[in-house]
Amino acid sequence: MADLLPPLTAAQVDAKTKVDEKVDYSNLPSPVPYEELHREAFMSLKADNFEGLRFDFTKALNQKFSLSHSVMMGPTEVPSQSAETIKIPTAHYEFGANYFEPKLMLIGRVMTDGRLNARLKADLTDKLIVKANAQITNEPHLSHAMFNFDYMGSDYRAQLQLGNSALIGATYIQSVTNRLSLGGEVFWAGVPRKSGIGYAARYESDKMVATAQVASTGAVVMNYVQKISEKVSLATDFMFNYFSRDVTASVGYDYILRQARVRGKIDSNGVASALVEERLSMGLNFLLSAELDHKKKDYKFGFGLTVG
Amino acid sequence: MESTISLKTKGKGKGSKGASSSDDKSKFDFVKEWSNWSLKKAKVATHYGFIPLIIIIGMNSDPKPNLFQLLSPV
Repeated sequence: MADLLPPLTAAQVDAKTKVDEKVDYSNLPSPVPYEELHREAFMSLKADNFEGLRFDFTKALNQKFSLSHSVMMGPTEVPSQSAETIKIPTAHYEFGANYFEPKLMLIGRVMTDGRLNARLKADLTDKLIVKANAQITNEPHLSHAMFNFDYMGSDYRAQLQLGNSALIGATYIQSVTNRLSLGGEVFWAGVPRKSGIGYAARYESDKMVATAQVASTGAVVMNYVQKISEKVSLATDFMFNYFSRDVTASVGYDYILRQARVRGKIDSNGVASALVEERLSMGLNFLLSAELDHKKKDYKFGFGLTVG
Repeated sequence: MESTISLKTKGKGKGSKGASSSDDKSKFDFVKEWSNWSLKKAKVATHYGFIPLIIIIGMNSDPKPNLFQLLSPV
């Protein structure tokens, strides 16, 4: 028995010194959550461009609790049957309260027309997280809620989603090597009776991230992000739907500078957009947003200020 | 006499209706109705109570902020 022990310890020491070359399959890192698969690409390519004036004021009462007041004025798009976009100028004020604790996060936002947007995230145990997201309106049948239960294993994550109007979904993602993770999702919707299944893969290294996602609804999304330096990253994205034959390709950049962050993208649909966030002083950020849609002749410009 | 006849028929009608409804209403329908009622109440409670709940939890966390800090715009 004593003879067996020394060779085992010697083998372990060898494995530790060779960790750069050999993958330790029993100790893989936890993968990115399934809904954040494309997060690096969407940081540059899906920046939140807005139109009109935006003013956000966040007042922290203590480290965990803060209140926020938001004013937004500008044209908002109304979905219309025809090809033209119909914009209606609106102005609203939104009051919000946030509570952040390591194990519990509560965010609530209520608008002047009575719409409530509530989010909750609670760590029930070390590995089980429950998240809930609800939009409640005064009009009947227009509210929806979604509950997610996430289980985080050592090198995998599984999630169960339940939504109102009978929506059930489940996702699973597993780290296969240090850099590659593969996942899949299934969902079933009751109201338009349909179900779908999808697969995703993500390969990342220090300098790049490449992801691909296929779904039975016909959507295929592939993107690639290259981190050129600490300050610059470039991203490109390709989406197509093989049922509706819609193809979109886009290229974007993200510059994180000392006092400003500039993100922009250009699209194959003829849309060019940019978002600049400049830090004027501590806690005071100035936002400029522009989105030019040459095909639909829709030009949106917005400016805003964020305090706190 | 007429009134008693009409009362009797009314009573019979009610009786038969009562019997048929108790036959139709199975346990599953009862649970569905009860869950619909509770979801409606939960929606109203969340709509009015979520933000006050966050404020109450926040005002009781430490260091405890005071009421003036909550209400003043600065």
